[in-house]
Amino acid sequence: MTRPKGAHSLIRVVVARWSAFFGFWLLLAGPGLNESVAKGLTTDLAANLAVGLLAAVAATWVSLRLLPPTPGRLHLAALARLALHFFWQSIVAGVDVARRAFDPRLPLKPGDLTFPTRLPPGTERAAFGAITSLMPGTLPVGTDDHDRLLYHCLDLDQPVAAGLARDEALMMRVRRGGNDRDD
Amino acid sequence: MNLALDILTIVAVSLGAIFFLAGTVGLLRFPDTLTRLHALTKADNLGLGLVVLGLLPQVSAPLAALGLLAVWLLALLSGATVGQLLAGTASAPDQDRAETPARHAGASHD
Amino acid sequence: MTEFLLGAAAFVLGTVALGLIRLLRGPGHADRMLAAQLLGTGGVAALLLLGVATGVGAIVEVALLLALLAAFASVAFVSGIHRPDGLGTASGTEHAAPGSSDENKRDTP
Repeated sequence: MTRPKGAHSLIRVVVARWSAFFGFWLLLAGPGLNESVAKGLTTDLAANLAVGLLAAVAATWVSLRLLPPTPGRLHLAALARLALHFFWQSIVAGVDVARRAFDPRLPLKPGDLTFPTRLPPGTERAAFGAITSLMPGTLPVGTDDHDRLLYHCLDLDQPVAAGLARDEALMMRVRRGGNDRDD
Repeated sequence: MNLALDILTIVAVSLGAIFFLAGTVGLLRFPDTLTRLHALTKADNLGLGLVVLGLLPQVSAPLAALGLLAVWLLALLSGATVGQLLAGTASAPDQDRAETPARHAGASHD
Repeated sequence: MTEFLLGAAAFVLGTVALGLIRLLRGPGHADRMLAAQLLGTGGVAALLLLGVATGVGAIVEVALLLALLAAFASVAFVSGIHRPDGLGTASGTEHAAPGSSDENKRDTP
């Protein structure tokens, strides 16, 4: 009997996700656990850990149902670049919006923008929406009939579309790799 | 060293507080729901990030610092997701529009 | 440092309280939800400041819970709007009609 081809990678995904969830649980429960650890290996500590293990199992199961693993690997360098870009741009976005809020003249030029994206629907597009909602001047409001993303912009005089295109290019490389502009 | 860390705390937390104020001012001054949403999500996430950054030097245990970062990360994730969801409802008066003609179809005289 | 952190917490709480004016004014349901969202983020920041200032670690966990509840509240609001019985339709949002526009073209009113 041959093992189905995806079985190995599925196990890898399950283990990776479970570890991540359990690690996160440890992080959140950490201060409470420290007290138990100080007393040695008590039943208290064991009970605590059991709850965490089970919670991580439940979280893994839910995540597999809601977010099935996609084939292919993540390009970590591209992911790091995206993260860096995201952090810097979210600071720019905050400063930009604060400046407008405090300005007595309230300089806004709001309007809508459609953005035809190359990102496939699903996880990638959802992540793109979440990221761009914290980018300067853009807020995703939905998808139109032609499968284009709809954005609300704070100031249409800003190069909003160019910024979105740049975010998209960075995002594309996370799953597909490549360093050059792929168009 | 301690003084430098304290200064970092004071600067970061103060800046964070200013961004919270900016979020509130934007929420009150901006003209419509979507622009208010811009102000709220972007300013408040930055404000919370700065507050967390400022608090990091003040906690002794490294685990507690990671816990602070975890709270911030969760807030960031939920802020970005919820922002999109709220924007979707705020920008889609289609529902009203779809219902209104049907409801008034007989009554109106046009 | 404790006094400074407590003062900052009070200041952030003050901005949240000010933001609640939006809750009174509305005019749309979504606007009111924004004030609730502000209460979430601002509350988390104030609680974290309090927790570190007082050294009570459990306050950080309260902050975490508040962050989760605020997210759930907004998600519940959004799914409530899409319910067929029309309970709380997205009425009263002030946004002007989303005029169709091509890429980077402004919809002038």
